[in-house]
Amino acid sequence: MTLVAGVDIGSTTAKCVLIENGKILGKSLAPVGVELVKDAERSLEQALAETGRGRGEVAVVTGTGYGRFKVTFGQYTVTEIGCHAKGAHFLFPATRVVLDIGGQDTKAIKINEKGEVVDFAMNDKCAAGTGRFLDVCAGALGLDVSEIGSLSLGARHPVKVTNTCTVFAESEVSSYVSRGKEAKDILAGLNASVVSRSLSLMQRVGIEPEVTFTGGVSRNEGVVRTLGYRLKLPVNVSPLSQYVGAIGAALHGLERKEATAT
Amino acid sequence: MEPTEGTEPKFLATARDEQRRMVDEYYTNLATAGGPKKPVAYMFVGGNLTEIVRSFGYEVVFPEIVGLNCAIKHVSLPNILHAESQGYGLDVCGYVKNDLGLQELGGQTPFGRVPPPDLLVCSFSGCYIYVKWWEALAEKFGCPLVVLDVPYMRAKEPQAEDLQYLVAQLNEFIALLEKRTGRSFDRAELRRVLENSRRAEQGWVDYLDSGRLRPSPIEAYFEAVFYMFPINVLRGTEEAADFYATVNAEVAERVRTGRCPVPEEKFRLVVEGVPPYTNYRTFWDFFRRWGAVSVAATYPKVGGLFDRGFLHDPARPLESIAEYSLGAYVNQSWPLRRKLIEEYVRDFGADAVLIHGIKSCRSFTAGQGDLRDWLIHDLGIPTLYIESDHEDPRYFAPAQIKNRMDAFFESLDQRRGSTPLPMVRS
Repeated sequence: MTLVAGVDIGSTTAKCVLIENGKILGKSLAPVGVELVKDAERSLEQALAETGRGRGEVAVVTGTGYGRFKVTFGQYTVTEIGCHAKGAHFLFPATRVVLDIGGQDTKAIKINEKGEVVDFAMNDKCAAGTGRFLDVCAGALGLDVSEIGSLSLGARHPVKVTNTCTVFAESEVSSYVSRGKEAKDILAGLNASVVSRSLSLMQRVGIEPEVTFTGGVSRNEGVVRTLGYRLKLPVNVSPLSQYVGAIGAALHGLERKEATAT
Repeated sequence: MEPTEGTEPKFLATARDEQRRMVDEYYTNLATAGGPKKPVAYMFVGGNLTEIVRSFGYEVVFPEIVGLNCAIKHVSLPNILHAESQGYGLDVCGYVKNDLGLQELGGQTPFGRVPPPDLLVCSFSGCYIYVKWWEALAEKFGCPLVVLDVPYMRAKEPQAEDLQYLVAQLNEFIALLEKRTGRSFDRAELRRVLENSRRAEQGWVDYLDSGRLRPSPIEAYFEAVFYMFPINVLRGTEEAADFYATVNAEVAERVRTGRCPVPEEKFRLVVEGVPPYTNYRTFWDFFRRWGAVSVAATYPKVGGLFDRGFLHDPARPLESIAEYSLGAYVNQSWPLRRKLIEEYVRDFGADAVLIHGIKSCRSFTAGQGDLRDWLIHDLGIPTLYIESDHEDPRYFAPAQIKNRMDAFFESLDQRRGSTPLPMVRS
């Protein structure tokens, strides 16, 4: 029995998952600040607190995400692309395409039957179509990003958001507000815009079932439904979807430890 | 496998020193002209007519090469910003904006002053923006502009009608040069110059071919770019021809001693696209950390696809120059470019392809997305496409580029099933 930890330091949140014997024993999620090393430490401590296990019992810690090199107490680092592939395969073994939409990144990852990355495509050097895009636009409506999903489900006449630039889309949202459009219709338009952008990335790697949706934006029911509708495919979303990178990191660490031991 | 600390790039010591000296001397001569000033012709690298204009006593300036020298020395941005202040848009080619900004600011660079043109020669039809660039310079300097219409290559070998068409244009061009310089065309002199070109080309090909060896004794993208200067700028001189003898002697020494550019070769790559000169060393470091070496690349062939069987033929000077211009890499249709890359992967035993797209250049870059898809989906060759710019540092996002490259090498490594290495901090 080997207790392993995966620590995912993303652009907006730090996530940690503890795995032993193929089971998730503990997890944590908290916003990141400017001191990423401390955030990483804290995320591991919080996850351990859920399990009642001690730091000394963790055999391997693996860092992932943009802040992976700040997991200074870890043994390995793996990019979030490799980790989302591995994590999605763990949760849904028949996954062939992973869509991950995080704070500043959107990734479409094609994987094989072993959960290995075959191909990937990511958004360009701007936050269009990412969690930050929704965050900023929700702010323009005086809403919290967590409200977008449920509110958007009531839309009857979704607007068309044509701008993919976050800054311009915010102006477009303000323009719709001034024209008297309802918030739920604007939110549905924003969700559709995110999905359109994601689909073009997914098409780059080739769409085939099963599709697994991960990252913070997968908590937005409006995006999940629109994605499924546009794909004409069921979309896997786990309650642990925000932890998929950390799960993958923990599993990569375990594999590496075993490979090194043999 | 984890990325390791990047090792310092190792050049061919003597050849690199020699190349530096040649570059310095070239720019010094341009600036001082050493006696009676030679007339200056501006030309593009792809399919250039350097031998012809040199035979009429012209000095040649390649503003693309001035541009890359500015970028690698981190002085391109002020020129670009100046051009933008004159009204050139964000999406206009970085080479164009660097040059037009530089010219407006007086032509002074850290490596010498670039003289204004007496003649502008555009012998490359592949990029419409380039024609507009030359038109802007013609207007600024009031000098003549000669545009040759070079048909795109639709088949592997130049078509007879294309050759005939281009040779006719070369004859017109020579008549114009005779008129402007008051000199007669000296076919014997051109043949002599082409002998030198051919010798340099053969040496360059020998250098590039050594990328087939395992481990590769050359870095066919990052390192080769330094050794491109003589074949592109000084082709036709004895100096350039001799240079490659020095290069190849040092490569032979690398083979003998096993001291290769990447100490432990893990991944062999074919690289397509113009380099991000503004962050050249950073980009190269992203390769070296993973033990990745480029064994073949298309970019060093922009001045001529000499490694595919063509060498200038002094016995048929004009026909040979026409064949050369037609066969330039950038003048190849996309099916031919794709085929070439496929052949490089096969012939050089590459594991993968890396494509670097240029944000401000649609001419070279358009089609690279399809190339990526074709390599991955039709041929099953792992391929990574990343994008920044050759001249504009604002487009180079190191964290994102590194992340993509790390993920790509991780996936190659994982699929190969190699033993992981201990972690070394980034």
